[in-house]
Amino acid sequence: MLTHREILSVLDMLHNEHLDVRTVTLGISLLDCTSDDLGRFTTRIYDRITQKAERLVAVCDEVGEKYGIPIVNKRVSVSPVAVAAAPFSSEQMVTVAQSLDRAAGTVNVDFIGGFSALVEKGIAAGDRALIDALPHALSGTERLCASINVASTRAGINMDAILLLGRRIKEAAGLSAAQDGVACAKLCVFANIPQDVPFMAGAYLGVGEADTVINVGVSGPGVVKKAIDRAVAEAPGMDLRQLSDLIKRTAYKVTRVGELIGREVAERLGVGFGVVDLSLAPTPNVGDSVGEIFQSLGLLSIGVPGSTAALALLNDAVKKGGAFASSNVGGLSGAFIPVSEDLNISEAVRNGHLSLEKLEAMTSVCSVGLDMVAIAGDTSAETLSAIIADEMAIGVINRKTTAARIIPVPGKKAGDYAYFGGLLGQSIIVAVNNAQGDNLFVRRGGLIPSPIHSLTN
Amino acid sequence: MKKFIISVLGEDRPGIIAAVTRVLFDQGCNIEDVSQTILQTQFSSIFIVTGPGQIEPRGLCDTLAAATHDLRMHFHVRELDPMAPRWTTCACESFVITTRGPDRKGLVARITAVLAAHNVNVTQLRAVFRGGDEPDRNVMIYEVDIPVDVDQQALKTELGARGRELDLEVNIQHKNIFEAVNRI
Repeated sequence: MLTHREILSVLDMLHNEHLDVRTVTLGISLLDCTSDDLGRFTTRIYDRITQKAERLVAVCDEVGEKYGIPIVNKRVSVSPVAVAAAPFSSEQMVTVAQSLDRAAGTVNVDFIGGFSALVEKGIAAGDRALIDALPHALSGTERLCASINVASTRAGINMDAILLLGRRIKEAAGLSAAQDGVACAKLCVFANIPQDVPFMAGAYLGVGEADTVINVGVSGPGVVKKAIDRAVAEAPGMDLRQLSDLIKRTAYKVTRVGELIGREVAERLGVGFGVVDLSLAPTPNVGDSVGEIFQSLGLLSIGVPGSTAALALLNDAVKKGGAFASSNVGGLSGAFIPVSEDLNISEAVRNGHLSLEKLEAMTSVCSVGLDMVAIAGDTSAETLSAIIADEMAIGVINRKTTAARIIPVPGKKAGDYAYFGGLLGQSIIVAVNNAQGDNLFVRRGGLIPSPIHSLTN
Repeated sequence: MKKFIISVLGEDRPGIIAAVTRVLFDQGCNIEDVSQTILQTQFSSIFIVTGPGQIEPRGLCDTLAAATHDLRMHFHVRELDPMAPRWTTCACESFVITTRGPDRKGLVARITAVLAAHNVNVTQLRAVFRGGDEPDRNVMIYEVDIPVDVDQQALKTELGARGRELDLEVNIQHKNIFEAVNRI
């Protein structure tokens, strides 16, 4: 028999603390759709996606209804397009992008990820075509997301790719200037990209994965914040070890929800179950914020001294709780600090508590990295590349995933506001300091070698 | 051997279970199942027992009452028919229905009327929160078994409509979600 406390705590998590399943992402392999005929290839991938994902949205809604838990987003991730569509030119890649977007529309998913390339050590012809296609592919589609892995701990950092991406990101921003450069919000540049991320914009189906797989992303920053608030109200003297334990137990509960939902969706679709990605992923709603957790832990705001330590505690406790709750934890699993998607973090930037530099420091201990950071539109491509390179270095040296999703907002400067809409939110534009002058370092290109694995200090 | 169901009701105090089970032992009965609860000051329990074929329900009831005279308990004993059909031949799934809103007379009757009309069986019913500082947020929990042949959409629609009439927020969720979240 269930106790009333057990029942009421779940109801509170759902109704007062924004617990939901943030995304169920169906991974679909496109590797056997390969053809050197563009028409044949686009027909094959369209048919593959629309057949495999035909029932995804309906099944997610049924399962969500059964458990009384909203599955907010239903998404599709596909094999890296740079591999599946390797024979095509950049113009043809744009056509591929449009086919993917059309397929996503047909099955009514909100995003399709996998317009991706893995170039951490070198750029093949298909990779180059895809990267060159990014500006038109992202500005000319609604639901397409792209990710480029430019660095890994094993391979090093591909500075040629980063330099190229700096230019393409600027072009993408220019082509979507009327929407504050929203095309760039659909592109993540990664170091050590996991193959099974269900969250966008980084979701793609790794080449080591099965033909189809269900990966689930669970969020719940509101649940964590309320759990801390309740505990501190009852015992104001709680120390950080106790708070870490509390976050761990809360993360366990949230992950269990994802596991239950994911397994049932996978079973109903006749697809294998991949991973639960427990990431504290905020939305622009009040009470669904990672930034607010910092205040519950006792800081004035995210960004003030102590923030990196607080984030380290939070991220680690989330991972521990998630790992105990499911043997299939994967993806990014940690805390996201996307500036525009979190009202509180955006406010911290506006109040001067959070700078780009502090944000970068914090990404050394959390999931992802410089996420949804809007910067001035006149930031040079080289500076953009340099910021990305810094972020990649954090991931490569620390053997972790980092990513950069940076939007140079055309025509706007630091302190202005950028509006992306929906889940992507809005943000004050962050100042990029000390970016004057020539950046010969970035322009040198080449590969920053992979780091030594001994003499760690 | 016969199977009996025995209900015991009365003012709670020490010694009730000891006295009742002593009689059952003396009568050669074996306890198969037991459920016991205390509601405010009142003791209540149900025993399912098997006993020798010569025992009759009336006689067992009288023996129990006589042996526990000082405790002033009320007994009811009935013989169970092991071949009696179950209320549904369908497999069932367990759901939890919660209602939240102002307490009022007839609330349980009107909600359970919808459940009964859809052949949904209530297995546990609890009023867990009487509002306290917020009398408009009384919570009732119904654990129910829903046969798989029941049209769940129609049930949900009707429950939702009844909830709106009663100014109640009604949730219906599969039981597994509560177990997954709370139990290792």
